[in-house]
Amino acid sequence: MAVKRAAVAAVIRKIKMKYTFSLFIILCSVSLFAQDSTTTYKKRVLETVEIDFLTSYYSQDGDNAAVSGGIGTEKLTDFTPTFVVAIPLNDDDVLTIDAGVSAYTSASSSNVDPFDGGGEADPFTASSGASASDLWAGGNVTYSHSSDSRNDIVSAKISVSSEYDYFSVGVGGSYTKLFNEKNTELSVHANVYLDNWTLIYPIELRDSPTFVRLDTKNRNSYSLGFGFSQILSKNIQGSLSLDLIQQQGLLSTPFQRIHFSDLPDSFAENFQLADDIERLPDTRFKTAVGGRLNFYLSEMFVLRTYYRYYFDDWGINSHTASVEIPIKISDKFTLYPSYRFYNQTAADYFYPYEMALSTDEFYTSDYDLSEFSANQYGFGIGYTDIFTKWRLLYFGLKSVDLKYDYYKRSSGLHYSLISAGFKFIGN
Amino acid sequence: MKKIIFLLCVAMLGSLNACTVVKEYEKVNINDPDMVLGDKAVDRFEINAQAYREAAAGANGGKTGGGCGCN
Repeated sequence: MAVKRAAVAAVIRKIKMKYTFSLFIILCSVSLFAQDSTTTYKKRVLETVEIDFLTSYYSQDGDNAAVSGGIGTEKLTDFTPTFVVAIPLNDDDVLTIDAGVSAYTSASSSNVDPFDGGGEADPFTASSGASASDLWAGGNVTYSHSSDSRNDIVSAKISVSSEYDYFSVGVGGSYTKLFNEKNTELSVHANVYLDNWTLIYPIELRDSPTFVRLDTKNRNSYSLGFGFSQILSKNIQGSLSLDLIQQQGLLSTPFQRIHFSDLPDSFAENFQLADDIERLPDTRFKTAVGGRLNFYLSEMFVLRTYYRYYFDDWGINSHTASVEIPIKISDKFTLYPSYRFYNQTAADYFYPYEMALSTDEFYTSDYDLSEFSANQYGFGIGYTDIFTKWRLLYFGLKSVDLKYDYYKRSSGLHYSLISAGFKFIGN
Repeated sequence: MKKIIFLLCVAMLGSLNACTVVKEYEKVNINDPDMVLGDKAVDRFEINAQAYREAAAGANGGKTGGGCGCN
């Protein structure tokens, strides 16, 4: 009897194990099937190749050129064509190539050597020397990978840029984590730029026996940034960001002149000769905290706001606030009026024209480091055709953006900027 | 400055709890292209000009280092 019971119990155990094993196999199959389904139906990060052609024309003027020691023309124009090509490598990975040039003419740079024989040297007149124009060329390549859930995104970037007296290489990376049903996003990014100058001094100092030359040609920048964004409701979302930037090396510009107040002035033609070049500390630590808050007001109006507080160890504090109100006037056209306010305190080492003392350790008359406030007014128009009816070769035109900005700061400098962007997408 | 960072942290933590989760199918307005928490591609030139002409940079997705900026 006992043997019979043991045999029955053994059979029951066997059946239980069989069912358990079968259940395990079924669960595994279901889970595998579920994973397969996810793989099969997950949305591609980028459906097709996208090409952005971006270009701008910039025109500036002012009377405080740093090249001539804080006095003189700041006239400058810049034309910048750029291509950005985003290529989907597979469902998860995207390669982005961003390359462009910037061709500029600068009246103040031309006065690094104002004695070019083309007329009487004058800080308010452009010269025709070699430094009157230059070409900046640069680009970067970014690789990004998204996880199957699209909740994790990693990217790596390399960049390079070059102009006549400057060369820069950079590497960077970022990690973004989405959670809370993609309502919350945290990100961290880091970049390193290694730059190298070709030292060009004002013409009158090049053979001066008393002039003390700079002892470094390198400028390194390290940045670390954190981002947080949150959907606050069906119609509101916001973000906060923190950037920490450490710079070291040559942080001054070798061809920017200084005129000391405690030394006699000397002129050649109408041009005041330099007493020295600007001298600045070889380290700088910058901190910027920013926030955005966007409101979807109605089908016609969106309100976009931005604020940033900045400070550094050179004594500069700054506030930036901007507002943009996109207005959808039809299903294809949107208007973009905008306003931006900016102010900053002066760097500890800033001196207006001929106010620095020869006994100071650091000095500059670069008015970009002076105390000022600035207002910028912008107006843009955007065209979007989601059906990409207009075609160019294998690409359809998805959107066109045109924008005009006028910027004026309290120190007198002002600029106009016309920007245009064309987005094409592949078949 | 410490106060500002503290207030930002409090606002950040507060928003985590205060918000109701918006489901994917409720994000029609949030997904509007003009609601993006960043700048449009065409804005890069404006940000670049500001980075050159102003002493403050960063916390806006613009250039935070590298490059001359001397013209």
